[in-house]
Amino acid sequence: MEKRLIKKDTLADIIAKMAGDVLVYAPVKEEDNVLFKVLEAGMKPLTRYANTKNAPKNFFFPHTEQMMKFTRTEKGAVFAGGEGKSPEAVLFGARPCDARSFVLLDMLFDQDKYKDPFYIEKRAATTIIALNCVHPPYSTCFCTSVGGSPTSSDGVDVALTELGEDYLVEFLTSKGEKLLKYFGDVKAGDAEVNQRVQIGEQAAREIKSHIPAAEIKPILDVNFEHPYWATIHQRCLACGTCTFLCPTCHCFDISDETKGADGVRIRNWDSCMFPLFTMETSGHNPRPTQKERWRQRVMHKFKYYVDNFGAIACVGCGRCVMYCPVNIDIRKIVEDISRL
Amino acid sequence: MQNPYVPIPVEVVKITTEVDTKDIKTFRLAFVNKEDEAAFRYLPGQFAELSLFGKGESPVGIASSPTQPGYLEFTVQKAGVVTSALHDMEEGTLMGVRGPLGNSWPIEYLEGKNIVVVGGGFAFTTLRSLTNYMIHEDNRKRFGNITIVYGARTPGLLIYKDELAEWGKRTDINLNVTVDKGDATWTGKEGFVPAVCKEVAPSSENAVTVICGPPVMIRFTLPVFFDLGFSKENIITSLEMRMKCGIGKCGRCNVGSKYVCKDGPVFTLAELDELTKEY
Repeated sequence: MEKRLIKKDTLADIIAKMAGDVLVYAPVKEEDNVLFKVLEAGMKPLTRYANTKNAPKNFFFPHTEQMMKFTRTEKGAVFAGGEGKSPEAVLFGARPCDARSFVLLDMLFDQDKYKDPFYIEKRAATTIIALNCVHPPYSTCFCTSVGGSPTSSDGVDVALTELGEDYLVEFLTSKGEKLLKYFGDVKAGDAEVNQRVQIGEQAAREIKSHIPAAEIKPILDVNFEHPYWATIHQRCLACGTCTFLCPTCHCFDISDETKGADGVRIRNWDSCMFPLFTMETSGHNPRPTQKERWRQRVMHKFKYYVDNFGAIACVGCGRCVMYCPVNIDIRKIVEDISRL
Repeated sequence: MQNPYVPIPVEVVKITTEVDTKDIKTFRLAFVNKEDEAAFRYLPGQFAELSLFGKGESPVGIASSPTQPGYLEFTVQKAGVVTSALHDMEEGTLMGVRGPLGNSWPIEYLEGKNIVVVGGGFAFTTLRSLTNYMIHEDNRKRFGNITIVYGARTPGLLIYKDELAEWGKRTDINLNVTVDKGDATWTGKEGFVPAVCKEVAPSSENAVTVICGPPVMIRFTLPVFFDLGFSKENIITSLEMRMKCGIGKCGRCNVGSKYVCKDGPVFTLAELDELTKEY
């Protein structure tokens, strides 16, 4: 496995150069937000930021995505072909929690029997460069409670760690090694790796939020009808922010749009927080109130995903905690459930 | 990589209005490409997404049987955007189908057993598929006695009337068609499905019942079968939920950890007891 050292102030230029060769998604400042965006020619990415407001799932599983085109003929509408091939791309600057989300999403979108080609093709064409957390960016970070860490390599092709004036660049996969040419020729060795290990351990110690996320599955198994579920949702506005910002939420809707004789079938992110999500044509809704929808969200992340894939569908990024307009806190919910 | 979201092109070759209220029709769809037909291998109980470009998709149980080659049939009630557009279609129209999706009636498990088919109203579609599959000359000897109890509110609301008449002529089916309330021309049974099941009283010995119908019918029919000695493993039904993708990705049709679209729609009562009651 190759390891390099680069000077810290060269990183933005390296990524900008990369953007001249392939599609690069990177954190940029937009008004008051740090957001993942496509890096246009001449733009430089941010290299110092806490984390992005939006999760990078958008690049493999876009908010709105065209699935296919169709044309209406005299005999009815016929399928007219889909999108072209996914371009080669680099996702720069994912925090380890967000990089880990792709390992979790792979479990869903890339199953043995049913594969989702839209996600899989973009995922396969994209190399992920992660920026390890030297310090946890937020007090709401809880990656270590859900199987991650500030320097987790899950889902990472190239890992960057800030070491004083340098970045240690670790090429973790063969996909990552294809980017070697951009990172100079100063080799790094065991000393730097040891430093990275220590930094990771220190960063993990600095994490303030610890929740018993891995312990609540047996409690959830037997408490579907517990009165506790009637206590979470009252102040929920059903805005869906938690699910839209979540790196692992993957629910979507499929709808058709037409213009003249042509049309497209698209999929859009959907949310278990929305009343219409499960509403049937008859008017029957198996999740009739926000209570059942909240139960679904918690169960899906901490029980159903574990049942189906053996992993918790949460990476501990804390976005849902930070951006919920009514301060519903998944950390507190997990704590409460552990004491049911 | 095969794209499971791309519909298979089909042509509507026959439309049958099933009921006197005219809001339930059966659509016979023929594959536009021969190779699609060969690849579409299904079993009774599976469903497909009916795909109308510009309108959307609707998941519907396959009402034809794999023993009827050359086409698929779907019996659809006019209800929402897609099914209303479907009802407005004419023969000769092109549309799409995605499938087959989901599990099926457990054919291997049913083999060698006596089968009791119980249906109510318009929820008789995949039961019709199963019945036609079992009574096909290649398959009939693989199954024991076949008892059918099928009911609708009125004679005009019975679906597959011609086929029911054909089945009634056969000596190897114990067919019991009932209506809640008959009319001037009705000469058959009157009574609710649970009551008729009680009257027919099929033996539970080496027997399985497959049951589909409105929730109220199922609620009152299950105790009848418990009394007859049917175990929960031998009472099998099919669930419906709102669906989009049909392949366990879009996240809305789960009941507990199970997705109705890919782990179902067919479940035994024993399996349903293990699931949460969120359907």
